[in-house]
Amino acid sequence: MAALDELREAVIDGQLAVAVEQTKRGLEEGIPAQTLFDDGLMAAMRRVGELFEEGEVFVPEMLVASRAMTAALEVLKPELVAEGASTSGRVAIGTVMGDLHDIGKNLVAMMLRGNGFEIDDLGTDVYPERFVQAIRDGAEVVAMSALLTTTMTNMRAVVEAIGEAGLREGVAVVIGGAPITQTFAEEVGADGYARDASSAVRMVEQVLGRVRATNGP
Amino acid sequence: MGPEPPQVSIDIEPVGRRVQVAVGTTILAAAQSVGVGVAAACGGAGTCGCCRVRIAGGELTAASEEERRLLGEPALAAGLRLACQAGVRTDVRIVIGPESLTATQRLQLEGLGADVSLDPPVVGFEVVLERPALEDLRADATRLLDALAATRPPVEATGRPPIGLAVLTELPAALRAQDWSGRVALHRPRGEVVAIRPPAARLLGLAVDLGTTKLAAYLVDLDTGSTVGRAGAVNPQIGRGEDVMSRIAYANTGPAARAELRAAVVEAVGRLAAELCAAGERDTDAIVDCVVVGNTAMHHLFAGLPVRQLGQAPYVAAVSDPLDLAAGDLGLSLAGGARVYLPPLIAGFVGADHVAMLLATEAAEASSTVLALDIGTNTEISLAHGGRLWSCSTASGPAFEGAHITDGMRAAPGAIERVHYGDGRFSVQTVDERPAVGVCGSGILDAVAEGLRVGIVDARGGLARSHPLVATDNGRPRCVLVGAADTGHHRDIVFTRSDVGEIQLAKGAIRAGTELLLSAAGIESVEVDEIVVAGAFGTYLDLRSAVRVGLLPDLPLERFRQVGNAAGAGARQLLLSRDRRLLAVELAGRAEYLELTTHPEFAEHFVMAMGF
Ligand code: B12
Repeated sequence: MAALDELREAVIDGQLAVAVEQTKRGLEEGIPAQTLFDDGLMAAMRRVGELFEEGEVFVPEMLVASRAMTAALEVLKPELVAEGASTSGRVAIGTVMGDLHDIGKNLVAMMLRGNGFEIDDLGTDVYPERFVQAIRDGAEVVAMSALLTTTMTNMRAVVEAIGEAGLREGVAVVIGGAPITQTFAEEVGADGYARDASSAVRMVEQVLGRVRATNGP
Repeated sequence: MGPEPPQVSIDIEPVGRRVQVAVGTTILAAAQSVGVGVAAACGGAGTCGCCRVRIAGGELTAASEEERRLLGEPALAAGLRLACQAGVRTDVRIVIGPESLTATQRLQLEGLGADVSLDPPVVGFEVVLERPALEDLRADATRLLDALAATRPPVEATGRPPIGLAVLTELPAALRAQDWSGRVALHRPRGEVVAIRPPAARLLGLAVDLGTTKLAAYLVDLDTGSTVGRAGAVNPQIGRGEDVMSRIAYANTGPAARAELRAAVVEAVGRLAAELCAAGERDTDAIVDCVVVGNTAMHHLFAGLPVRQLGQAPYVAAVSDPLDLAAGDLGLSLAGGARVYLPPLIAGFVGADHVAMLLATEAAEASSTVLALDIGTNTEISLAHGGRLWSCSTASGPAFEGAHITDGMRAAPGAIERVHYGDGRFSVQTVDERPAVGVCGSGILDAVAEGLRVGIVDARGGLARSHPLVATDNGRPRCVLVGAADTGHHRDIVFTRSDVGEIQLAKGAIRAGTELLLSAAGIESVEVDEIVVAGAFGTYLDLRSAVRVGLLPDLPLERFRQVGNAAGAGARQLLLSRDRRLLAVELAGRAEYLELTTHPEFAEHFVMAMGF
């Protein structure tokens, strides 16, 4: 389908206006919103992730692609709701207390969104209580970002706060950011870590799968 | 209590140190315990990959996840390990490569000569005292002050200057040994006697630039204004993390850690002072004044101030006004009453070193439009235009210091510092013309710039896979700068796609900061008359490369001025001129600090500036 091909291309190239236009055209042509999302936006974001991993594109290209995707998704949203679309899961994401770096976090959020996750973006300088509240509001995944050696330790406080609230069992806690390592993730008791936005999607899918499996339906 | 873990020994080459440690101790901890400096940009978290060592005998703990990722299997198989990760299991011998050894770096001590009218805060007055006698029983101090009151030109001080305990303690012996004469060092702003020196003694001042990586110290003759000695050393705190945030994180682990960082740097400054004095057969007692400049974290750690608040938003300093401290209280042994002046700072990440740099380059005094950048892991930028001054700090990261770069290293012997492409290959120049063992900031900048020029690097930072020098490693492209046959360690020296990415992040952040300052002033880059580039990397970088990659605005090269260690030069000015001290306060007071962290347009500019 031409509309889908062009939509994918527009998203990959980060052409926001074209992506929006092709989405509208697709809907007019009667393509189901879910198809436009799965085979258009999501496929495009997967490709962007691959291109990033192959070293063909870098942060700026990923960001513009994500923005085009987000704009197109806005057009689709009402239709998806009408079609009763299912989401891959609900993720609350934020940069931890004391830290205001949000470019990486936003990229991860957009990649997740582009892969069917529902995102509750808590912003930056997010206190532990706020993450806890997000779980009460329905998040299955808590994703934390930190870019500073001095703030990465605040992730531990969040994991503890979730535990104290008695909510640790049901949720997946994942972390990332430039100074974070797998070892650190294990130390603070997180369920997963990923080094970049494209591997973050795979990781969140896996971790969530595990958590759901242990909690039963 | 369980049994003590068994002890094993580690031989550290090429420095030839042996150390006994408990089984399980990491190599980094062992090396640090005997003062062998191993580069550890991340403070030993296993994220930077700087602390590479080679095992030459014995057994270490199994490679960690981080080591696998940062070194890769082939390197691990060849015996490379990360010192912060690998623990010892038996007696071992390890070799620290020159790229990881912090002690042999090139230190940058040049810098501007201070060109200011000589009016030092501390000046000397020759005095001749009347000897005490049975009919003249005035105390030594009274006698000294009476003599001081009679000098010509008169001492400008209100009332009789006080004499501190440290000077009083030395006074009786000094006066008698000097046959009741001497040279009184008077601290004019305080109106205080800080030393009593022998007649006609030279008064010396010590200017120190406390860099996160390097310390530079200058001995200045306060009577003539000339610099009589200079010396440099690696900042000994470096073993506790290479950047400011890692040091703050370390200091946050407890009061003992903060005290340790403070003691280490104070001791190093003391050693530099002693070294400088010994070279001229002088005594550190001859140093009657001292100025120390540094970024806000270095400044706080040196003064013993808390740094926790600098590591968390909104990153505020404990104090921004100038500090005037007693050298003795700080633990520096200079002349008994000597003071240490720390100039004012602008913000949590725009420190007193930046103020000193602005003084030395006169960037903020001219009527022309001047952009001044001090490029480091944090890059401070100021823009002077139309009588106003804007400053910001942008987080460029350590890429230009060689960290996070595949074959990156500091500007130590064997580091590639210049790269040129011609006749289908790269030719390189290394520090001290030694066989290449890695690439430092100016080299990686050149490599990317040359790559762009000849089409090896595209506008998005991708590498041209079709180029003969570009190979693919696990699907990721890398470009060979120097083949294994010509390197000092017989491995290829390469740059990869992710290295280009690190450069994109660093230059994007610097350029975004620059653009936001220009827009705060409401001007375009063409309106900038002069661009001052300071700092070690800023001095060695090839301007054409910096402009080609977009790190600096595309302006005619004659508008740029590379100034070396301008902060050190500013510190010397502050020893020599009371006016400069006033000006420092004035500049810091009128600088309009632009906070980028919450700036709504930062991300947009950053993303734009990352491309080529
Ligand atoms: C851009 C930047 C800024 C911008 C931030 C703008 C913004 N809105 O975010 C500005 C200039 C404002 C800034 C300010 C500061 N910064 Co800053 N900054 C950077 C810089 C250059 C790039 C960071 C970035 O955006 N990278 C691009 C994104 C896409 O990558 P990323 O964040 O790593 O995210 C990826 C992965 O980590 C991962 N990921 C991220 N989050 C998550 C979360 C999850 C759940 C998962 C799974 C994955 C994941 O996926 C992302 C996409 O692939 C880095 C240096 C560098 N080269 O990395 C310094 C850096 C992070 N900053 C640093 C510092 C110190 C600061 C300051 C404190 C001081 C200063 N002025 O320099 C301030 C204060 C910041 C604050 N208030 O929090 C230091 C930290 C050092 C340390 N050891 O802690 C760095 C490393 C630079 C340096 N000086 O060495 N900074």
